[in-house]
Amino acid sequence: MACLWDDYTKHLSQTYLFVYAGALNPFISTEKMILKRLLLLVPAVLLVILLQSVLWVPGYESQAKGNPKRLLQFVEGSIGDAKLLNPILNADSASARIVSLVFEGLLKLDENLQLSPNLAQEWSVSEQIYLTVNPNAAFPDGSTVNGAELEKRLTDFFSAAETNEGSIQTIRRIKPGQRTQTITLDTGESVSVSVELTIRIPEVIQIDLNSVDEDFSKKISSVLGDDYEENLPRAEWISIDKPGLKNKVSRRLDEFVPVIEHNPVITFQLRDDVVFHDGHTFDSSDVLFTYESIMNPRNLSPRTSDFEPIKAVEIINDHAVRVVYKRLFSPAVNAWVMGILPEHLLNAEALQAEMGSRGISGEARESFAMRNSAFNRNPIGTGQFVFRSWEGDELIHLGANENYWGRVPQYENYYYRVLPDGLAREMEFRAGALDVYRPEPHQVDRFRDKFTYQTFSSLSMGYTYIGYNNRKTLFADKRVRQALGMALNNEEIIDYVLYGEGERTTGPYPKNTLWYDHDVAPISYDPQAAIAILNSMGWEKNADGWLEKDGEIFEFNLITNNGNALRKAVLTIAQNAWQKIGVRVNTQLFEWAVFLEDFINPGKFDAVILGWQMGPDPDLYQLWHSSQSGFGQLNFVGFNNPKADALIERIRRTYDLELQKSLTHELHAMITEEQPYTFLYAPLGTRVLDKKIVMLEDDDAYAPVQSAPSGDLYYYFDRWRKLEHVPIF
Amino acid sequence: MRAFLIRNFLQRLLLLFFVSVIAHAMVHIAPGEPSEVDPANPRMKPEDIAKIRAAFHLDEPLHLQYVYWMRDLFTGELKSFKDSQPVLPKIAGRFVNSLPIFICATLIVWTLAFPTGIHAAVRRGSFYDRGSTFVAYSLISIPGFFLAYLVILWVVQQFGIPVIGMRTFGASEAQPWLRFMDRIWHLVIPSLMSALVGIAVLSRYVRSQMVDVLQQEYVRTARAKGLDNDTVIYRHALRNALLPFITMFGLMLPALIGGSVIFEQIFAWPGIGRLGYEAILARDFPLVLTINFIAAVLTLAGTFLSDVMYAMADPRIRLS
Repeated sequence: MACLWDDYTKHLSQTYLFVYAGALNPFISTEKMILKRLLLLVPAVLLVILLQSVLWVPGYESQAKGNPKRLLQFVEGSIGDAKLLNPILNADSASARIVSLVFEGLLKLDENLQLSPNLAQEWSVSEQIYLTVNPNAAFPDGSTVNGAELEKRLTDFFSAAETNEGSIQTIRRIKPGQRTQTITLDTGESVSVSVELTIRIPEVIQIDLNSVDEDFSKKISSVLGDDYEENLPRAEWISIDKPGLKNKVSRRLDEFVPVIEHNPVITFQLRDDVVFHDGHTFDSSDVLFTYESIMNPRNLSPRTSDFEPIKAVEIINDHAVRVVYKRLFSPAVNAWVMGILPEHLLNAEALQAEMGSRGISGEARESFAMRNSAFNRNPIGTGQFVFRSWEGDELIHLGANENYWGRVPQYENYYYRVLPDGLAREMEFRAGALDVYRPEPHQVDRFRDKFTYQTFSSLSMGYTYIGYNNRKTLFADKRVRQALGMALNNEEIIDYVLYGEGERTTGPYPKNTLWYDHDVAPISYDPQAAIAILNSMGWEKNADGWLEKDGEIFEFNLITNNGNALRKAVLTIAQNAWQKIGVRVNTQLFEWAVFLEDFINPGKFDAVILGWQMGPDPDLYQLWHSSQSGFGQLNFVGFNNPKADALIERIRRTYDLELQKSLTHELHAMITEEQPYTFLYAPLGTRVLDKKIVMLEDDDAYAPVQSAPSGDLYYYFDRWRKLEHVPIF
Repeated sequence: MRAFLIRNFLQRLLLLFFVSVIAHAMVHIAPGEPSEVDPANPRMKPEDIAKIRAAFHLDEPLHLQYVYWMRDLFTGELKSFKDSQPVLPKIAGRFVNSLPIFICATLIVWTLAFPTGIHAAVRRGSFYDRGSTFVAYSLISIPGFFLAYLVILWVVQQFGIPVIGMRTFGASEAQPWLRFMDRIWHLVIPSLMSALVGIAVLSRYVRSQMVDVLQQEYVRTARAKGLDNDTVIYRHALRNALLPFITMFGLMLPALIGGSVIFEQIFAWPGIGRLGYEAILARDFPLVLTINFIAAVLTLAGTFLSDVMYAMADPRIRLS
C-alpha cells in the first residue's frame, strides 16, 4: 500500500508541475520575455499606484485640503495610552489628561493657581470644636469643672467684645453617644491584633465657629486654666473587647480622647444647571457617591489618602453639601478639584445591571467592582468634552459638549493620539497632523520661525535634585552637603544640559507658587570654599589627590534611573566636578523598577539624582516629615529635623493665607540651609503650537493664544480654534 | 508519502508542545513583573497587587499556569493582563493592520529581486554588477531604522506631508477618494523601506544562485541549441535556481506574524510586531505567549510546506 501511495503522489506531483508548466507555456514558449516583463511590470505598476497618492495628501500648509472640519479639530500626541478614564482610579498622565477634559470637580484652579468655583458656585469654611469636659480638672479659681459651669464660663468669655470677633456662633453642652473605633495593635513577635474600642465621653462642649481658629485652645486657656489637660479620666471612658490587651492601649489613650477636637467644615453650594453627558442632572448625591467610592477599599483608589481626613460628607439638599473633617488640615480643600462621578451609572444597582448584561457569573461576580466596569473605557462626566470613542493604543476621541453649563468649546473634536516615538511626534507636528508638540531642550531652537510656529515656555511645577542619604555618617553633617553643593556649577548645567531651558531653584516649593521664597539665596559656586569646609572637618588631600580622613577616602556612589538623558548628563558632570575637589564618586544607571525596588524604597543608597513633580498646595508632609522615612515612603533621604517637622505640621493646620506664606517661606529657608538635597534646576516646559491657532476674545475677534499667568497653556483652551492661513494681527 | 506526512505532522505537534513549554517557562523565569502587579508601581498597594496576582494565577506553580494558559487559549477565554480584553481578537485585528504592508512589500521584493539579481549574474563583473553589489550591501549594512528615520526626516521637511501612522490624522471627514489615497500614501514609506532591504538581500541570493546555475553544462547546451538569451535564463536556468527560494517562500508564513517591530514602532503602525513588543515590555504574559505560540505554529507549518514543495519541485529529493 505504501509504495502505491508513493507512486501515486509522484505521479500527482509531476502532473501538477506539468500543468503548471503548461499553464505558463503560452507565456513562455510563444512570448518568451513575458515572465521577465511580468517581473518588472508588476512592481512598476504597484509603485506608480503607491507613489501617485502623494499628490492627494494634506500637508502642513494645506491641512484643510478638501476638509474644512480639520480646523475645528485639536490633535494632541502622547507617549503612552491611557489606562482608566476614571478620575478616582487613574494613575497615569495620559488618563489624567483625558479625565481633566471629560470630568470636572467642585472647584478648579484659576489662572493664578488659586481655588475658584466650578461645579460648586460658592463654598464657605467653618468649624466645629469639641471640648471634652474634664471632671478631674479645676478652673483657675479652684472650683471643679463640670459641663454646665464650663458652658456658662465660655459663653460669658466670648460675649465680651474683645475676645469674640463675631466668629463664635453657638456654644452648647452635648452628651455624645458612644462611638467605636477599630485599631490594630502590635503584640510583639510581628503579630498584630485587631481590637475594637468603645469610647463613651459623658460630656462635651460643642462650639460652632464660622471660620477656622487654629489658636482656639490658646484663647480659652484663661478660662480653662493651665492644667486642664491633666488627669482626664480617659481609662474610664474607653472599654476594649479584648480586656487582656488593655495595657497596650493605655499608652495611647490621648489619641482616642483628645481634649480639643477641631472639625473644620466646608459647605459647598452646587450649581443647579449642570447635566451629565447622558442628560442626567448633577446633584449632591453624586458628590457623596464620589467620596464614598474613593474611600471604598474595594475600589483600590490611589486618592484615598487625600480624602482620609474627611469625617463625613452630608447632603443638606439637592444642591448643597457639607463636608466635615476630623482634624485641622488646610490642604484638604485642594482635593475637591477631583472629578465627580455619576452616581446613577456606578452605584451598586448599576454595577449589578452591568454584571447581568455582560453575563458575568460565579466567582467573577464576587470580585467585580468599579475597576472592572466598562465605564472606565466609556466615561460620562460633566466636563466640556464628551467621550466618543477609544481605539486601544491608538486614539481617544472626544467631542465638544453642546449642553455644557459654561462656555462651549470652539473645537468640535479633540483627538488624543498615542505616538510613543519622539521623532514620530515631531514629524507629525511638522506635517500638520498634530497641533501641539513638546520639544526637548535641544530642539527648541528649531521652532524659532515666528511665521510658522508659536512657542510657549513656562516653569513646570517640578524640580531636579541630588539627594544625599542623610542617615549615612558621611552625609550626616550639613556642612558636607553644603560643600558638595558648592562644588557644582549649576549655571553650567542649565546652560549646557538644558540649553538654557531651566531655572535655578533653591528650595522644596515650585517657583511659580506663593510658597517659594525668592529672597532665599542659592548656594554659590565656590569649589575652593568647598575644599576649605571639608578641610576644616578633617578631610585632607592625600597623595593620590583624594580627600582622606582617618585612613578612608571620601568616596560614594551616585546613581540614577536610565531612560533620562538629562539625569545621565548631570551624573557625569557631578562626578567630574567632585573629582576636582578630591571627592571620588562612582556612578551607575539602573532600570526604573530595579532602581526603586533595590535602592530607593529600602533607603540603600548614597546619593541619587531624581526629580519631583509638585502640586500647588503648601503641604510637604510626605516628602520632608521625619515620620515618612520608612520603606517605600517619600522622605527616602531620611531628612530629620524636629523644627522642620513642627513647621510642616503647623502649615497643615493653618488656614490663613498670609500666615501660610510666612510659614512656608520659613520652611523654605530652613530646608535650603540644611541642604538635604542639592537643589539643581526647575525645567522650563516648552510647547509649540501651529501659528494658525488663535483664541476667540469676548467680542468675537481673534487674538494670539495666551497662556495663564501661572503658566498653564490650556487655561483658555475652550476659546481656541485654527484658521486656514496664518493670521496677521 | 502518507506515512511521511503523518509522521512529520506528529513530530511537529510534539515540537510545538516543547516550544510552548519552553517559551512559557522562559517568560515566567525572566526578571520583571507584569506592570499591573509591579511592586514598584507607587499607585498599587500590596493588597491590590495580591488580588490581581491571584486573578492572573501568578502565584500558582508553573505547570498549573501552563495548563490555565492552554485551557484559556483553546476556549477563547484568554485575556490580556493590560486591559482584560480577549487576546485572540486583539491579535486578529492587529494582524489585519500589518497585512497591507506585508503584501505590498512581499510583492515588490519577490518580483523586483529576480530581474535585478539575474541581470547582475548575467553581466557578472560589469558596472551594473559591481554597482548593484555595492548598493545591496550598503542597504543591508545600514540599520533599517536609521534609514527609515532619514527618509522620514527628508520627506517631512521637504514636502511637509505626514508619513507616520495608517492614515493622516484629521482627514477623517474628507471625501472618500481623498481618504483612500491617504491610506495608500501611508502604506508607501513603510512598505518601500521593508521592500528595499528585502530586495537587497534576495537579489544577492538570486545572483549567487544564478551564477552557479549559469555555469552548468545544460545552459551551454541550451545556448548551443540556438535559444535566445531570455528563454535560456528565464525558462531553463531560473527554474533550477529556484530551489532555495522555495524554502524561503515557506518561511514567509511566520514572517506574517512577526510583523516588523522596528518599522511599526517608527511609523506608529498598529500592527502585530508592535503589539508583541509592547506586550513584552509590559510583561503581558498571555499576549506574549500567544503570539509566540502562533509564530511557532506558522513556522512549523511554513517549514513543512517548504519541505513538501521542495520535494515536489526537485525529483531528486525523496521524502522518506
